Amino acid sequence: MPPVKRKLFNLDQYQVPRGKVQIISERCKGCSLCLEYCPNKVLAWSTDYNFKGYRYPVLEETEEKYCISCRFCEEVCPDFAIYVTTEPELTAKPQSTQRK
Amino acid sequence: MTRLGVFICHCGKNIARTVNIEALREKAATLPHVVLAKDYLYLCSKPGQTMIADDIREHRLDKVLIAACSPRLHGKTFAQTAQRAGLNPYLLDMANIREHCSWVHIDGAEGTEKAFSIIKGGLGRLLYAEPLEPFQSPVTKRVLVIGGGVAGIQATLDIANSGYEVYLVEKSPSLGGHMAQLGETFPTLDCSSCILTPKMVEVSQNEHVHLLSYSEVTRIEGNIGQFQVTVRLRPRYVDETLCTGCGDCVPTCPVVVSNEFDQGLGARKAVYLPFPQAVPAVYTIDWDACLNTDKLIICENCYKDCEAKAINFLMEPQEKMVEVGAVVLATGYELMPVARIGEYGGDEYEDVIDGLQFERMLSASGPTGGVVRRPSDGRIPQNVVFVQCAGSRDPEHGIPYCSKVCCMYTAKHALLYKHAVPDGQVYVFYIDIRAAGKGHEEFVQKVMSEERILYLRGKVSKIFKSGAKLVVWGADTLSGRQVEIEADLVVLAMAVIPSSGSQKLARTLHIASDLSGFFSEAHPKLRPLESNTDGIFLAGAAQFAKDITDTVSQATGAAGKALSLLANDFIKLEPTISEVEEGICRGCGLCVSICPFGAVKMLPSTRTGAMVAGINPILCKGCGLCTAGCLSGAVTLKGSSFKQIFAQLEEMV
Ligand SMILES: Cc1cc2nc3c(=O)[nH]c(=O)nc-3n(C[C@H](O)[C@H](O)[C@H](O)COP(=O)(O)OP(=O)(O)OC[C@H]3O[C@@H](n4cnc5c(N)ncnc54)[C@H](O)[C@@H]3O)c2cc1C
Ligand code: SF4
Ligand code: SF4
Ligand code: SF4
Repeated sequence: MPPVKRKLFNLDQYQVPRGKVQIISERCKGCSLCLEYCPNKVLAWSTDYNFKGYRYPVLEETEEKYCISCRFCEEVCPDFAIYVTTEPELTAKPQSTQRK
Repeated sequence: MTRLGVFICHCGKNIARTVNIEALREKAATLPHVVLAKDYLYLCSKPGQTMIADDIREHRLDKVLIAACSPRLHGKTFAQTAQRAGLNPYLLDMANIREHCSWVHIDGAEGTEKAFSIIKGGLGRLLYAEPLEPFQSPVTKRVLVIGGGVAGIQATLDIANSGYEVYLVEKSPSLGGHMAQLGETFPTLDCSSCILTPKMVEVSQNEHVHLLSYSEVTRIEGNIGQFQVTVRLRPRYVDETLCTGCGDCVPTCPVVVSNEFDQGLGARKAVYLPFPQAVPAVYTIDWDACLNTDKLIICENCYKDCEAKAINFLMEPQEKMVEVGAVVLATGYELMPVARIGEYGGDEYEDVIDGLQFERMLSASGPTGGVVRRPSDGRIPQNVVFVQCAGSRDPEHGIPYCSKVCCMYTAKHALLYKHAVPDGQVYVFYIDIRAAGKGHEEFVQKVMSEERILYLRGKVSKIFKSGAKLVVWGADTLSGRQVEIEADLVVLAMAVIPSSGSQKLARTLHIASDLSGFFSEAHPKLRPLESNTDGIFLAGAAQFAKDITDTVSQATGAAGKALSLLANDFIKLEPTISEVEEGICRGCGLCVSICPFGAVKMLPSTRTGAMVAGINPILCKGCGLCTAGCLSGAVTLKGSSFKQIFAQLEEMV
């Protein structure tokens, strides 16, 4: 039997930062590093192609709130095709879906 | 010419019942070199000892054999007698004709014959005995305390306040142990952290204390008076000397995980202080939870927000060597995991919790702010069932013993719940109530007489879920009925078990632990604060389940033991250790690998320069393994030389 993971009582007292992901699709070469490294798996592949002929990362509107502004995507992107802006007023209640 | 004296003890009737003492004495008197053979009712008594001492002087005895009980019992007594009479104590030996003979024989003739053979052997061995001098070893005037719960804190303060240096090694990021997690304490309902926090602060401010938190002891060498200890400091990725405890690093950390200190009921960030009163008041990055890894450092949120620039992602584990004269072990306890009891849901149900989780809910600084809530939906429970002896006194689940504190803290829990929810209903299942401490029975009686607290004598057989409620099946042996109770919350008083890692620590320290894993005391009645290794003392729940009162008493006692050791500049160590004859050693190094205490090293010979074995007298425990293992016969165990052992065997066969 897997041990229960109890809901954390005082979760409401915590806040996590939120980021706004900016994607410059034209620069993307489809290497998939950002999707791999995003700890919250908020990014997905586009359905269409950029002018170079690659699929590029997109962020569904429903996923936006899960970006925790860690900037992993920004750091790993070799082509400066993705970056994150943080807005101080943009904080969120923590989600328990964080993965390493 | 050697002048041997033989003294035979009756030990009341213990020996005399089966052994014909008179015949034995007459025969012993005829043995070579024996100039005096005597018997006495109790040799260990004062007149007995005086007689021996007088005879040593009067008859100019140069070696003495005491045929009596085991040297483990009275070896020291008679060694002192010899010393008083001016005889080197290693020239007095004992022949055990009680445990090895009279107690295991029924037939008098056989017993007497065997006793004679034991005496003959003893005399043979004694003939080759040589005078030995105990050697002196300096006492390092520092103490190592392992474990920073209330036991470790108390021992540390007692020793430090006497002016000696203490190294206090705590595994977790903060001092406090389990007492820091408690809300109020039985039987007086003192606020736990209110009485503990000042002590924790005192530790951190005492100039004699070196607090090594987030650290573990990985190696210990040496002997009483001189231990060399290796401590491994885990990287906390926050520089202790720079961190101001401001907490600015926390808000932007994106990782939220459950807090161990809240027993998994509350949250914390990857960078955290386990609780507000933590000592040291230094944040720690939980590297397993942090987004960064050893290979990849990208998230810098905390780093950027830390004005003191205390965060350092490149921190590595460190090793620190400390030298101490004594060790106090205070590694405490844990609760048996609920998962081990399948009948109670095996940790499957969110609303079946253990005592420490309930304790966190009662605590004003806990995750619910002191309100009792159901973990599943956050509602305040109206029906609460407490189950005592969950795992304890239950050999089927591997715990035969009583955990000692559960009767008391369950009564406390029931009462505190009632204070908070006056119209709530409490059921307590118990086998029997053990409330033997001062004020304990009165406390339990008071709780039992409260309205809406129902004590049911019997065991719970099963807990299962039915809708949003839990159903508890149990027996009420007083009315002889099976009971079924619908509960909102079930609290299991899980068995107290030794803290994880204490087995490993026992091996590191070369000390014994009992079948349940608690550290063994040297003698259950007379030496309860000492381990079976000299210089290592025990305190608190690491020795056995106990409450805070007993823990603190024991810790103060252990500190006293350590202090009385430190009061000496030198201690005498037994000279009965191994010695290498350089001329015979061929330098094969076998003994180096044999010695379990790391006492043998290959060193260049002072005469020839060739590599030969050398034994460090401080580390050698005189176990004799290398003596038996050396193929060249180069190693002698002083006091039990080959000559002595073969002479003894020859006389006996
Ligand atoms: C639910 C519950 C309620 C209780 N309520 C009360 C009460 O009301 N009144 C009362 O008198 N008693 C109560 N007790 C008992 C009380 O908790 C103990 O008596 C007390 O905590 C024992 O202190 P300790 O220092 O021996 O052990 P602990 O508190 O367990 O401390 C041990 C410390 O050693 C550290 N450690 C462990 N292993 C290592 C290692 N290898 N190296 C370094 N450090 C290590 C741990 O991290 C910890 O800090 C209660 C117990 C429980 C379970
Ligand atoms: S900032 Fe972090 S969480 Fe947000 S998209 Fe990039 S990698 Fe994912
Ligand atoms: S580096 Fe680690 S601890 Fe610091 S903010 Fe990022 S995830 Fe949290
Ligand atoms: S007798 Fe030999 S093996 Fe035993 S402790 Fe001494 S040196 Fe080591």
